[in-house]
Amino acid sequence: MDNAVTRSKDITLLEILDRVLDKGVVISGDAVISVADVDLIYLGLKVLLSSVETMEQLRGSPFVGPMQEAK
Amino acid sequence: MKLYLYGIIDSSDRIKDSIYGLEGASVYNIPFCNIGAIVSEINQPIQGVTKGTVLEHEAVTEKLMANFAVLPVRFQTIIDGRDNLLSVMQSYYKDFRDNLDRVRNKVEFGIKVIWPADKIKKSIRNSRKKGEHEMPIPDGSSNKKFMRKKLEKYRINEDFEQKADKFINVMDMFFSKFAAEKVLKKLKTENLLLDAAYLIERDRQADFKEAFEHIKSAHAAFKFLFSGPWPAYNFVILPKNSNLLKDSRQEDLFDKEIQHQDLVGADKI
Repeated sequence: MDNAVTRSKDITLLEILDRVLDKGVVISGDAVISVADVDLIYLGLKVLLSSVETMEQLRGSPFVGPMQEAK
Repeated sequence: MKLYLYGIIDSSDRIKDSIYGLEGASVYNIPFCNIGAIVSEINQPIQGVTKGTVLEHEAVTEKLMANFAVLPVRFQTIIDGRDNLLSVMQSYYKDFRDNLDRVRNKVEFGIKVIWPADKIKKSIRNSRKKGEHEMPIPDGSSNKKFMRKKLEKYRINEDFEQKADKFINVMDMFFSKFAAEKVLKKLKTENLLLDAAYLIERDRQADFKEAFEHIKSAHAAFKFLFSGPWPAYNFVILPKNSNLLKDSRQEDLFDKEIQHQDLVGADKI
């Protein structure tokens, strides 16, 4: 049960990362001090994010319920 | 003074609730006309991406969602002072306003569908062997054998894609009934059949969840991930040719794999 909860939380974090690092309003220009290196970080994460199924295989049993419960 | 920007809201009023953002700083609204930029003051740029800072960022936008239409801003957007922020607001005002109108009273849900790609391909291979599609083994050179193998692989992949389209169409037909807009990505990996985001009216969330449960129970061999409600991260559309925007991902919004569909007034299941 604890493993299932942890797994669900991990997946929720991936969903958050997928959104806050890659989606939403992107502003660029001289006024913006920072957002620059997020792209690079995201490149690394993207492999992980698009491989949720790999994560699931590594951890064993199928996903539990809607992620909303863990959010 | 540096300002960490969390989101744009459809109000120029002061935030009544106490909200705390990164570094525990108070979050407040900087108004521009009838919209506002939600910020907190920050002393130094954030060092990298940590679980804590990402969650703090997300928590602020989720709290704002309760009372306002929100355009979530990408993580780690720091503006150099109030005047610069106001200048950004001025440049983007119409786009922000249009986007806020689109996402008002709506929330985003994410759905990922994972299917057993290996098994699907195996079943395609088997049915091709049994059926009329089977190609005779050539007696000729190894070149012919190589070409035959290549062609067979191509046809299996073609069938695989068609199966994927079929499943996605069925699922999306259910989900779309409640969606104002959607973003669908097919087969990001072989196993990730569908990575979708749907923009749902707040008062249709229960119907949407019910449709999800229906689809989930009808596809026992697949695995489903359901997340939300989120701020409308996937539905912010800023102009492709804005002078201020140089992000290639904005162009992705116009790619064919991303479909937006107005379904206002669609029937309930």
